[in-house]
Amino acid sequence: MEGLLALTSGVLYAAGIYLMLRRRLAQLIIGLGLLSNGTNLLIFTAGGLTRARPPVLPDGAPALVEPYADPVPQALVLTAIVIGFGLTAFSLVLAHRVHATVGTDDVDDVGREG
Amino acid sequence: MRILVLPILVPLSTAAVLMLAPRRPAPQRWISLIGSVLLLASALLVFLRVDATGIQVLQISAWPAPFGITLVADLLAAALVVAVGVVGTATSGVAFSGVDPRREAFGYHPLLQILLMGVAGAFLTGDLFNLYVWFEVMLVASFVLMALNRTRAQMEAAFKYVTINLLASSIFLTALGLLYGATGTLNMADLARVWPTISTPGVDILLAVLFLIAFSIKAGLFPLFFWLPASYHTPPPAIGAAFAGLLTKVGVYALIRVFTLLFHSMSPALFGLLLAMSAATMVIGLVAALNERDFRRMLSFNLVGHIGYTTASLSLLTPGALAGAIFYVLHHIVVITNLYLVSGVLLRLRRTTEMTRLGGIYRDRPLFSALAMVPVFSLAGVPPLSGFLGKLAILEGTFDAGAYWVGGLVLVVGLLTLLAMGRTWADSFWRPAETPDFAPPGAPYLVAIASLSLLTVAMTIAAEPLFDLTTRSAQQLLHRDEYVSAVLGATP
Amino acid sequence: MIGFIVSPFVVAIIGAWFVSRFPHRAGILAAWPALLAVLLANEMRRAVSAGGRLIELPWAPSLGLSLAFNLDGLGLLFAVLITGIGALIVLYASRYLADHAQANRFHASLFAFMGAMLGLVLSDNILTLFVFWELTGFTSYLLIGFEHERPAARAAALQALIVTGAGGLALLGAGVLLIDVTGTTSLSVMGASRASIVASPFYAAIAGLLLLAAFTKSAQVPFHFWLPNAMEAPTPVSAYLHSATMVKAGVYLIARMTPALGSTSFWTTAVTLAGAATMVVGACRAVQETDLKRLLAYSTLSALGVLTMLLGVGTREAIIAALVYLVAHAGYKGALFLVAGVLDHEAGTRDISALAGLRRAMPITAVAGGAAAISMAGVPLTLGFVGKDGAYDALLHATDWFPWLLALIVGASILLGVAGLLAGVMPFHGDVASVKDVREPAWPLWLPPLVLATSGLLAGIAPSVLNRPLSTAATDITGLPVSISLSTWHGVTPALLLSVLTLAAVGFAYMLHETLRTRTWTPRYGTEAVYNGLLSALDLMSRTIAPALHSASLRTYVMVIVITSALIGGTALITDPGLGSALPRTSVAAHDVLIVVLIIAGAIATAIARSTMGAVLSLGVVGYGVATIFLTFGAPDLAMTQFSVETLTVLIYVLVFRHFRGLGQLSPPLVRIRDGVIAIGIGLFIGGLLLSVATTETAPGLRQYFAGFGPTLGHGRNIVNVILVDFRAFDTLGEITVLATAAIGVRGLLRFAVDGQPDGAVQPVTSPIFRTAARLLMPLLLLFAVFLLLRGHNQPGGGFVGGLVAAAAFALYAIAFGVRRARRALLVRPMTLLGTGLLLALVSGLPAVLRGRPFLTASWMSGPVALGTPVLFDLGVFLVVAGVVLMMIFSLAEES
Repeated sequence: MEGLLALTSGVLYAAGIYLMLRRRLAQLIIGLGLLSNGTNLLIFTAGGLTRARPPVLPDGAPALVEPYADPVPQALVLTAIVIGFGLTAFSLVLAHRVHATVGTDDVDDVGREG
Repeated sequence: MRILVLPILVPLSTAAVLMLAPRRPAPQRWISLIGSVLLLASALLVFLRVDATGIQVLQISAWPAPFGITLVADLLAAALVVAVGVVGTATSGVAFSGVDPRREAFGYHPLLQILLMGVAGAFLTGDLFNLYVWFEVMLVASFVLMALNRTRAQMEAAFKYVTINLLASSIFLTALGLLYGATGTLNMADLARVWPTISTPGVDILLAVLFLIAFSIKAGLFPLFFWLPASYHTPPPAIGAAFAGLLTKVGVYALIRVFTLLFHSMSPALFGLLLAMSAATMVIGLVAALNERDFRRMLSFNLVGHIGYTTASLSLLTPGALAGAIFYVLHHIVVITNLYLVSGVLLRLRRTTEMTRLGGIYRDRPLFSALAMVPVFSLAGVPPLSGFLGKLAILEGTFDAGAYWVGGLVLVVGLLTLLAMGRTWADSFWRPAETPDFAPPGAPYLVAIASLSLLTVAMTIAAEPLFDLTTRSAQQLLHRDEYVSAVLGATP
Repeated sequence: MIGFIVSPFVVAIIGAWFVSRFPHRAGILAAWPALLAVLLANEMRRAVSAGGRLIELPWAPSLGLSLAFNLDGLGLLFAVLITGIGALIVLYASRYLADHAQANRFHASLFAFMGAMLGLVLSDNILTLFVFWELTGFTSYLLIGFEHERPAARAAALQALIVTGAGGLALLGAGVLLIDVTGTTSLSVMGASRASIVASPFYAAIAGLLLLAAFTKSAQVPFHFWLPNAMEAPTPVSAYLHSATMVKAGVYLIARMTPALGSTSFWTTAVTLAGAATMVVGACRAVQETDLKRLLAYSTLSALGVLTMLLGVGTREAIIAALVYLVAHAGYKGALFLVAGVLDHEAGTRDISALAGLRRAMPITAVAGGAAAISMAGVPLTLGFVGKDGAYDALLHATDWFPWLLALIVGASILLGVAGLLAGVMPFHGDVASVKDVREPAWPLWLPPLVLATSGLLAGIAPSVLNRPLSTAATDITGLPVSISLSTWHGVTPALLLSVLTLAAVGFAYMLHETLRTRTWTPRYGTEAVYNGLLSALDLMSRTIAPALHSASLRTYVMVIVITSALIGGTALITDPGLGSALPRTSVAAHDVLIVVLIIAGAIATAIARSTMGAVLSLGVVGYGVATIFLTFGAPDLAMTQFSVETLTVLIYVLVFRHFRGLGQLSPPLVRIRDGVIAIGIGLFIGGLLLSVATTETAPGLRQYFAGFGPTLGHGRNIVNVILVDFRAFDTLGEITVLATAAIGVRGLLRFAVDGQPDGAVQPVTSPIFRTAARLLMPLLLLFAVFLLLRGHNQPGGGFVGGLVAAAAFALYAIAFGVRRARRALLVRPMTLLGTGLLLALVSGLPAVLRGRPFLTASWMSGPVALGTPVLFDLGVFLVVAGVVLMMIFSLAEES
């Protein structure tokens, strides 16, 4: 499974980078979104995969029994998702305002000085 | 040491209070100024303790390292946090000269405090993922400060700034994820122990490369630095001052930390790479600065070029070179912040920083000119000011390390800076003016500039204690055991 | 004593204030340098009998800097000249610039210069010498550019700054190298370490850099071009800096470093040749000039060449001659410059072809000019004669260089003599004044040149007064005891015959000076052109690079970053191979493959989508797919968060992108293929790295600790939540700050450019069924949100998801009833939620501090239900998240 997820993550990175090199503002932001997903998947996978054993103690159990999913990458990814959400929303609105102010959604026209 | 968290909590509280406080300028500015002064005071307290008794550690939430998050203050971090306080106070102070009312209504002051919080957190944290969080805090604050703008140029600059920094954050996060997978820890002191034992071969160098790239983008090193001159000249000068003085230095600090703590025994090629990037940064930055017709743009190129000084010296990793690098960082923070404030005055005087519209300032504003002379020529390295001292420290460090060509480059780039500054002075201050002044400089600006200039002069007079500080700091950085045992051996 | 040496800097500041208050009494300031001159002369007396003495005030010993001064003959000789002439100049300038608005700044800069010059010649620490060296250059920049409104003055100032600055930096390099080689910073100690310096492999570099410094400062060929241009400065400046003091600094440096570095063939050849070339070029150009100041500038150039050449020759006679020549030159050249200033001031012109017959109008000035001129020409009974005689004598006996140098110096001396007469005699000669209404100026303007000129006469008549000071100085240069006895008359020597010859030639040539002007040789190619060429090249580079750096397209920046990363990563990969992977440890199930395929398909679809909506929906598919992966592999909290965030994100995408057009391809296919290749490369790199890391066992230390202590000390069974609100709560604190800031940013961006009240572009759904449902659902959702919050510590849930659900409740209300009513229903501004939430999170960490524990240490109340500060923290998170989402949604929905 690690191989499959590594493949997936790699595809997400590739697609994200590809989009970031495109010429439309929207594609750039979407590319960042894909990249962000890829990174989250990467963090999750790198820490090691454990199937269907969340790190939550069942009622009455005194302790977690091995194997259980590593809670650390989960916490990290959660933080990253939340931060990423804030930044994505912001950059979306920024792209929208750039589009409105500059009048074009061609990235090459942003900041180009004649 | 419990007060170690103050430099982070004070600006956060100030920001929260500002969010709840009335939106009118007067209360916002005063609360912000008081908050910044409190930040400076707490930073000084921390620094004095670190100076007296060595590395200070605080385990947040009382969980021991490496499980909880640790705050660590060695001499470098403590000195840098003091710098945060200084820059913060200066920036809050000049707000009294007037801030765009719409900006002020939309959160200028809390955003600034959040920025300060992020930077302070980045300097004080002992956990790499926590570092990422503080990076994001300061970045998002800077994003918003950039994005609340009026002109098309500012909007475009903000967009470039945001996008590139988001990319850099992704790279950093990628490296972090892989790092945890490879080592199982995020605490820097623990990583210092564990890093040499990474079992998968090749992973360590690739991780190092990822960190190097992410931090070099933030620091503004060639060839990853384009976003800086594309954006730093657009925000209001006080914001520009905070950015130039603090944000890039966080990148430099991160490089110093990982190179001294983690990468110190890795392949020399890594150091050579950093050195090459730094040398290119120095030269390209200063050459590009020569012909800039806009004062602030010239400053942003200068900023980039002088970052190169620091990282070039860092890459040699000898005590002398490292001490020189730290000295230069401290000098540079004060001087570049001051110069952006000077550009703020120029903006007030002429409503532009295009050098063709400046001029006549030396004749008409003697006090301001005399004050501005200090940072302008200190950056150029005219002795006996701090710029010269920093260059001397780096020169001695590089020659001691046998890297003569680096030292020679330092001298040549110093000459280029002298040329750029000499020209700028002649064009902006000496040339007769073609337009009249729109408004006076304003007392808050003059006070801020005078204070920072005075600080530069003080660094000259107190050169010995200051250099002693940087030497001890360098020793601390190179003797990792002190850091590791302070963090891992401490009880919560 | 150190205080006196650095006192001019203090006087600079005091003087600036003084002159602005009492502009017409500025001459009083001259008293201080006069006093210093007396003090230093007294020191000289002591040094003559007892030798030099060292005094020191530490500054930054760890850097090698200290205010160390060596009061020996050589330094004191210069020091007396600097202060003595300085006093006269201050007096002169006080009158010359009496009506100038910026006179106070002038005097400040002048005194600062004086202090720097004084420090330079007396310094024993080589780094401090550099400090003063650069300060003289900087103050010279300020003084040359004094009339800063003239472009010519600014240009000349910059040129001088850069040329001498380059030399200065060379000096710094040489200095640090010397410290490395000799282990000391003291010049006097270095003087005694000659053997080790000469033998060191760095000798050539040190000597080369040092000579570069000296040659730039003393305007030796090929660095001479800045000196004539520096005549843009006011005349007192030209007289002081550019003839008597600053330009002599290079000569001083050569003299000072001769014991340490001299007498090698490298040194001797370089110095002598440079000096000779400068001597010739300067003399030839001098007689071609009609502008008095430029004439004098070139003649100064030539004189500097003579001094340098003599020091290069380095014999005992040559050094003595150089010292005499130095003193003489300071006297007559200073006087001539001041006379030129008077002529400019009173007659309004500096053109010698326009000046004649002014002796009746200004007799005293005429006397001064004449006396100076004859000293320059080398008429017996002047000090100039003694100097020239000594120079001839030295070169007659310098067997290595005979006869070339002798021939050259004779030729140059003839031309210089003519130049002197042109400057000091010609304007006054004749009966008819060429300019009307000229009068003798005020005494501060005629006294200084008179004093300088007559001192040359007096010293010429009784030169033995200089014996002891010059002997001491010469001793310092040669390192061997030297005793001089100067006299006007040595008997009939070959040198005397040459001097007579020279004088005759001067007289002859003077009468032919018009011919000289046009017929004298000029070098065809000047080095100034090289300098300008270098600057132009730099500017061209700058103009080419700079726009590329800041105005390129964003894609270019991204491309550069990506390619750089790929290059560096790829190189690292190749050079340090072994990136293997262990066998995959986790099994693959059929539904996993399905999800993976879905994600990959979604990613590719996003990349090639043509419409914005299509791309966004594909992105949503990717996000949900990833959430499913999280769910499958034991991360329920994560999955919930990912699902809700993804939904919210898609919603925001839709709200924003309704303004955007389709995503038709703008780039040509080749570019797309290139980008695709790069992207795939990165993907492979990351994927490979991930595979390698993921298949190796991760050290279990952290998770075991958390899993172990979570239920006990952390009072929670949902370990992930315990990490977020307790173990690593500090991260979460930063995270909610980021969220809050982003929300402020979104709101600001949407409202900032828009004036007036938002009127809500998104219309509420008015169907009554929907509204009733909304009314019912909303409190249920809110309850559910609180439920999620409270149970989060022990089961999947938590503040974040709770906040999202709470926000969803109000969003639902907004869809049904409109944003305005939803805002009212909320009762507070979203901003208030943000601030309160942040404060709450902050405050939850404080009880620990009150108990003496670190910030954010959890405090728990005992009882049936575990209540503690982490729950409060989670509540803060809850409020912030709700506030953030609502702020964003309201702002987006209200956008008109």
